[in-house]
Amino acid sequence: MKRYSLLLPALIFLFIFFIIPLMTVLVESIYQPAKGWLFVNYLKFFTQRISRVAYTRSLLMGLLVVAVSALIGYPTAMAIVSVKNDSLKSLLLTLVVFPQMTNSVARTFSWLAVLGREGMVNNLLISLRVIDTPIRLLYTPGAVFLGLLQLFLPLMIISLTSSLENLPKDVPLAAKSLGATGFRLFTKIYLPLTSEGIVSGCTLVFTGCITAYVTPAVLGGSRVLMLSTLLFQKASVTLDWNMATVIAVVMFLTTLAVNYSSKLLSKAGVKS
Amino acid sequence: MKRSVVILCLVVAAISLAATKLNVSTWGFNLDLLDKNISKPFLEKYGVEIVREVGNNSVRLTKLISQKDNPVIDVVHFADYFAALAVKNGLLQPIDVTKLSNFNDIYDFAKDPIKGNYGIGYTVYSLGIVYRTDKIKKPITSWKDFWAKEVAGHISLPDITTTQGPVLMMHINKVFGADPYDPELKVAYEKVRELSKNVVTFYKTSSELINLFKMGEVWMAPVTRFSWGQFLDTGLPLTWVVPQDGMLGFLNVISIVKGAKNLDAAYKYIDFLISYEVQYAEAMDLVDSPVNTKVVVPNEIAEKLTYGFDHINSLVFYDTNFIVENYDKWIDKWNNLIAQ
Repeated sequence: MKRYSLLLPALIFLFIFFIIPLMTVLVESIYQPAKGWLFVNYLKFFTQRISRVAYTRSLLMGLLVVAVSALIGYPTAMAIVSVKNDSLKSLLLTLVVFPQMTNSVARTFSWLAVLGREGMVNNLLISLRVIDTPIRLLYTPGAVFLGLLQLFLPLMIISLTSSLENLPKDVPLAAKSLGATGFRLFTKIYLPLTSEGIVSGCTLVFTGCITAYVTPAVLGGSRVLMLSTLLFQKASVTLDWNMATVIAVVMFLTTLAVNYSSKLLSKAGVKS
Repeated sequence: MKRSVVILCLVVAAISLAATKLNVSTWGFNLDLLDKNISKPFLEKYGVEIVREVGNNSVRLTKLISQKDNPVIDVVHFADYFAALAVKNGLLQPIDVTKLSNFNDIYDFAKDPIKGNYGIGYTVYSLGIVYRTDKIKKPITSWKDFWAKEVAGHISLPDITTTQGPVLMMHINKVFGADPYDPELKVAYEKVRELSKNVVTFYKTSSELINLFKMGEVWMAPVTRFSWGQFLDTGLPLTWVVPQDGMLGFLNVISIVKGAKNLDAAYKYIDFLISYEVQYAEAMDLVDSPVNTKVVVPNEIAEKLTYGFDHINSLVFYDTNFIVENYDKWIDKWNNLIAQ
């Protein structure tokens, strides 16, 4: 009991500032005393072409960023963990965390300078004579992808690093001595033993992607409509709070579903 | 006896203190200048202290809705569209304009822009065309020039979700020979569909647009006059065009909240806001363009304002209530057209 009482401050905080508002949103998206049952709004959400487009794009974008950040993040985390020199290791970790300390709006805006028609990428491609006129890189799904990846990759690296740090050093050694090499060592030892880190990394990155507003708004614009930008439109331009609430609930449930299924996947992976 | 006198004095003081505050909901820009030009002289003249609650239009409208039964705010500044939306939500009360001594000094278009005397335009701004004279050699004279091949790929238009977006769409309908009050805006949507691939992006804020000009992405766009000064500050070779088919006019309006507790002070504030002294001071500081016709400013100030006979005369205004009625539909159509 005493142990749990330490949790009390956090629990009270979460209850007042998270659970109650969340429940209010959930309930109000389904039932409001003045308006009756509101399931019709969910129906509207899933039957309108534009909300379906925004939803699938957000979902796919989130999954893609998760996949790529895991692919880049895992080897990076392994490399950082394998560094013997402690001060070098903490320097590397600082470098990973460093971008997180800059404002995400600033980081997003800097992409404008990189991807613009007179930006670095286009200038480089022109000077290498790959292209002769600048190509449009901004205001495309690709630009949003890059922005989100840069924004959330550090989260993946950090959670994988801490997970790899906790992996007992003698386990991979034992496996090696028993003849496991390369790919098998990775799939049989590393992956199962760091599955928790992978799941938490994936959840953090996915949640970040699906809820990010500035990046799709600035790098995608009106053409690349996503759930968060649609939510903003409904909530602050037409004051259509019914729809805004529905979108918020859909976002929340999607994040829960992705978190839950990645846990299931990792469990299944560990068993096999 | 003595004690009761003291108590009585305290009570009177408390009541008078409570009565000398006016709660104003407005934007959070230029607050120091608003203090200098409005709050301070207002306190000196009427003994009423202005308490500001700041935020963007939608946040402030949301607050008004949530406080509907017991409003805290007395007067509210809104862009005309949000004022019309507030009227639709039953949040405002009509203004008795006979109580305003300066009412006859303002432009006719500012007197009752959202109909029913629910708001008075206290500042006006135009939407004209701005372009890079070094990049575009073709002289730009009309809104139709956005469809010219010389500018293709280097233009930006306001998104439908900006205050200017729906009005520009109505105007495009008109420019291409259709009725601007067509609830479907058929011609405008057809024309924008045609143009869409040539648009760099549909901007949402003037600061975003300034950035696009600075980066060389955009050479020509519809620009709000209140941001023109910042465009000039970029040092780019830019020029402001008054299109021959009319420049669009927008008003920011001041309204009284239904159930406002300080009605007397609210009227004083509105009258003060459109008075010569305030309108002149705000114009000279480039905060807001005047609607008071008595205000005269020097040329170098006028160049950055929505000001002057020709400029004001070319303004076209559309009925904001028509936008409120059709906006949901227009945004849906826009999303379907623009979002890939």
